[in-house]
Amino acid sequence: MLENIFRHLPKVLKYVFLALTFSILVMFIQSAFAKKEYEIGAFLLLAVIAIAITYLTNLSIPLKFFLPGILFLSAFVIGPILYTVVMSTFQYQTGNYISKSQAIERVQMLGIAPDEANTTFDVVVGTYKNQFAILASDSLNKRYLISTTSERIDLASDLLTINENGVAIKSSDFSPATSDEIAGLDRQISTTRFKYDGDYFIMLEGSSVGAVARQVLNYKASEDKFINLVDGSQFVDNGRGNYANAGNPEDILQPGWRSPIWFSHYLDLVKDESVRSPLFTVFIWTVIFAFLTVLTQFALGLLVAIAMNKPIWGRRVYRSIFILPYAMPSIMSILIWGGMFNTEFGAINALLGTDIAWFQNATFARVAVIMVNLWLGFPYFYLITSGAMQAIPSELSEAAAIDGASPRQIFARITLPLLLKIVTPLLIASFAFNFNNFNLIYLLTGGGPRNELDGQIAGATDILISYTYKIAFGSNIQDLGLASAISVIIFIIIASISLYGVRKSKVLDSFS
Amino acid sequence: MRKWLADNLWRHAVGILVSFFALFPLYLVIISSINPTGSLQVSSFIPKEFSLNNYQKLFNDPTIPYLVWMKNTLLISAAVAILSVIIGASSAFAFSRLRFKGKRFGIQLLFLVQMFPAILALSAVYVIMERVYNFAPGYGLGTQPGLLLVYLGGAMGVNIWLLKGFVDSIPIELDEAAKVDGASAMQTYWQIFIPLAAPILAVVSLLSFIGTFNEFILARLFLVDMNSRTIAVGLQGFIGGQYSQNWGAFAAGSIIASVPIVIIFLSLQKYIISGLTAGSVKG
Repeated sequence: MLENIFRHLPKVLKYVFLALTFSILVMFIQSAFAKKEYEIGAFLLLAVIAIAITYLTNLSIPLKFFLPGILFLSAFVIGPILYTVVMSTFQYQTGNYISKSQAIERVQMLGIAPDEANTTFDVVVGTYKNQFAILASDSLNKRYLISTTSERIDLASDLLTINENGVAIKSSDFSPATSDEIAGLDRQISTTRFKYDGDYFIMLEGSSVGAVARQVLNYKASEDKFINLVDGSQFVDNGRGNYANAGNPEDILQPGWRSPIWFSHYLDLVKDESVRSPLFTVFIWTVIFAFLTVLTQFALGLLVAIAMNKPIWGRRVYRSIFILPYAMPSIMSILIWGGMFNTEFGAINALLGTDIAWFQNATFARVAVIMVNLWLGFPYFYLITSGAMQAIPSELSEAAAIDGASPRQIFARITLPLLLKIVTPLLIASFAFNFNNFNLIYLLTGGGPRNELDGQIAGATDILISYTYKIAFGSNIQDLGLASAISVIIFIIIASISLYGVRKSKVLDSFS
Repeated sequence: MRKWLADNLWRHAVGILVSFFALFPLYLVIISSINPTGSLQVSSFIPKEFSLNNYQKLFNDPTIPYLVWMKNTLLISAAVAILSVIIGASSAFAFSRLRFKGKRFGIQLLFLVQMFPAILALSAVYVIMERVYNFAPGYGLGTQPGLLLVYLGGAMGVNIWLLKGFVDSIPIELDEAAKVDGASAMQTYWQIFIPLAAPILAVVSLLSFIGTFNEFILARLFLVDMNSRTIAVGLQGFIGGQYSQNWGAFAAGSIIASVPIVIIFLSLQKYIISGLTAGSVKG
């Protein structure tokens, strides 16, 4: 009996686990479709089908091992990569964030204008004959009325309860809403149009003031355009996610929508001066930064490795000290360095006896960034190069020594070339990593210094990835479309560099 | 004698200078953390007073939920470390041991995917998780479970790749013996492979623990609420560029947060360095 249970336990567990997974996923699928998130719902549905086929049949054994990994990779890596490419072909930014039908609705709602006298009323929200209604008072002119969406009833003041400010607060047919009810009616209060006169209606601003207005922008669905009823101007879809005045393309209606604009972002990167020039500056600095970082880290790492390449007294102690910067969580180290570079109180200025404003000056900020990165990364190259030097067969240098080569010659002609051959792929990988070293830049200088007056987003130490982050999340206009386009470009650069590095290392593999 | 001196003196000179460079920030943080004034200003590089004020402030000041941040970080990092290895190990096993159609293509694809810096798809992840929030508010943008899911997905490529590399080095004879005895792939996996690979799985999960601990940008984007933050986001917001005010407490906080990572790192040195030469670079 007991044996039987144990034998079947894995199977039972499997089915319990599957059942749980299914019920959770099905729940998510339902709510995803209910909230019209069709793409995500469809993905989850496919996932459920795949899980069912894989684990309830024996069609493919390898897939049983792969599926969880595949699902996570598709959901959070491959999916986002594809989505990035898609987003880069859309006008997708603050002001162009919603769908077209939502945008039309919003434009219509906002497309109203007050009457010429700017008439306003003090208002009490409530119900009239079970309809949502307002009791409006114009205390100056002693005009009182009840208005619903369909009718307006003028009232004489003697039938009303009027408070000391001349505002009507009660009437026989009108029952005011309690403050709790008002809180629940938030959306209705801001969108309902109460009847006033002809085209004119009363819109509420908050729950106690109403203004007389009329619809000015009218949507013509058949021609997909907005017509201004006052001056007759027409607003047409400008192909970039906004309705623009046919006579004046600069005059656009807000909000816009996320609209497919194909390769416009990519063309802007090349053609539009306001996009191209900061991007180019940032790109140049990114390359210089990554190159100098690798160069300095490698040089110092190599120097230390050579110095320690002999069993000198205290070598183990030195070694443990050199590893420390690498063992520290880099986030903490970067923040610590940030404090040390403080102009007034920082330890660097105290140590040097200077009062340099490190992060306010472009050149000093760049020097600081490179120096901090040197600190963070030289131990890596020290470890790598000292490992590589062990791997170089000693026969070579011994033979050279017998032939009369000086130690310096042996190093320059034999050790260094071999070493470079071994570490080149790692130098390339490190270049690729630093090309995207967001944390360092963001946490140390924030990309600055930058000239805020000229409205530029890019700072002197911004690298492509931190600049992209600022475009997407860091400024007033969050331009996810443009940021995605730059991301795609960065990926192409990084992928080429990395593949080049891999090819180098493959070449090496075939020799060894 | 003179030759010995000439050959060794410069080595020690390099050693001492570089040690000074390496230790200076660490030394500074330690003396800042025990400085009773808690200010950024360095009045003297040799501490004259000793106090635990900064440490006390960290744990007692209600405006700094340091312990909550620490707990969040440890929970998220531990969950990522364990789950990603559980999921990754089976894929690595299949890549390393099973024969199937399209294996070469699969490995090439995995190689490409693990190369992709997750940070590049940030906008897309943001929008996707914003949509998830629409229908499942507990798992979308701004939540720890949402962040955990994104971490798991993001770490998957690198972890499978790293695990596959390690697993390839485990001798295959035992697996084959089991196969000859009639064991199924599942039995081989659970009864032979997992016990053999256990130390490697532990190492990879500790590496991914460190990686998650060091992650900043996603955590920053996801965790807006003060009490849901990780230590990295919390401490960054805490000094927020205004180093002069909270320096002492920050120094104490960063020391406490760093010690466990440094210990894990030093004890895993050997594996990390072999992983490094395989081409991966610590963040």
